[in-house]
Amino acid sequence: MRKNLFLYLTLACFVGIIAIFVVDGYLGIYDNLFVASGEREEEIGRDSRPWQESVRIDWGEKAFFCYEVDNRQFSDYTADVEVSLWHSQEKVADLIAQPISVASFDKGQLEWVLDTAELIPGDIPTEQGYEFTVVIKRGEIERRLITHVRPAPYPPKPVIPAP
Amino acid sequence: MRLTFILFGFGILFCIAGIGYLAAEYVKYLSEVGKIVSLLLTVGLFSFLGKYFEGLGW
Repeated sequence: MRKNLFLYLTLACFVGIIAIFVVDGYLGIYDNLFVASGEREEEIGRDSRPWQESVRIDWGEKAFFCYEVDNRQFSDYTADVEVSLWHSQEKVADLIAQPISVASFDKGQLEWVLDTAELIPGDIPTEQGYEFTVVIKRGEIERRLITHVRPAPYPPKPVIPAP
Repeated sequence: MRLTFILFGFGILFCIAGIGYLAAEYVKYLSEVGKIVSLLLTVGLFSFLGKYFEGLGW
């Protein structure tokens, strides 16, 4: 009996480890962000790993954001998502504000576009880089992503009037 | 007979390596509390397994 007791305790520990891996590691709400610009698409954060801090976009390009919420719970998930654009601690624009509802063990997506040509102030020369912070608020959770706009490699030449 | 034991040995080694690899990958998703409890349970698991084999006369 004592011999089998240790075997049962071993099995109990094994079952406990598997249960922790399932409940703590798999179940929950996870989010991810994809940013596509030019010919590249970057995955900013995946599941519970720390998010990448910044993303680079070329001057004049549009960046297409796709925010994905993965609901790994037994109930539906609903939250308000607000995305805003900041520069030097000042809000530049509200990009999106809408609720997201995701069914149990399903994924939901929100998409928005950041147009650098439209949002960068006109007095900033194209040879100079620029930075925004994209702030994503989902309920109590806040994600921040620095968006670095790279200067144009070939700034437009000034037009010389014909004599 | 000896070949069978060698094959068993390889099988067990591959199983342990596979489970170890999966655990190392998956542990990233655990919270800090989950990690420490898993570690304690792993220690308990091997301790009880040792006691079990000790009881068998190994």
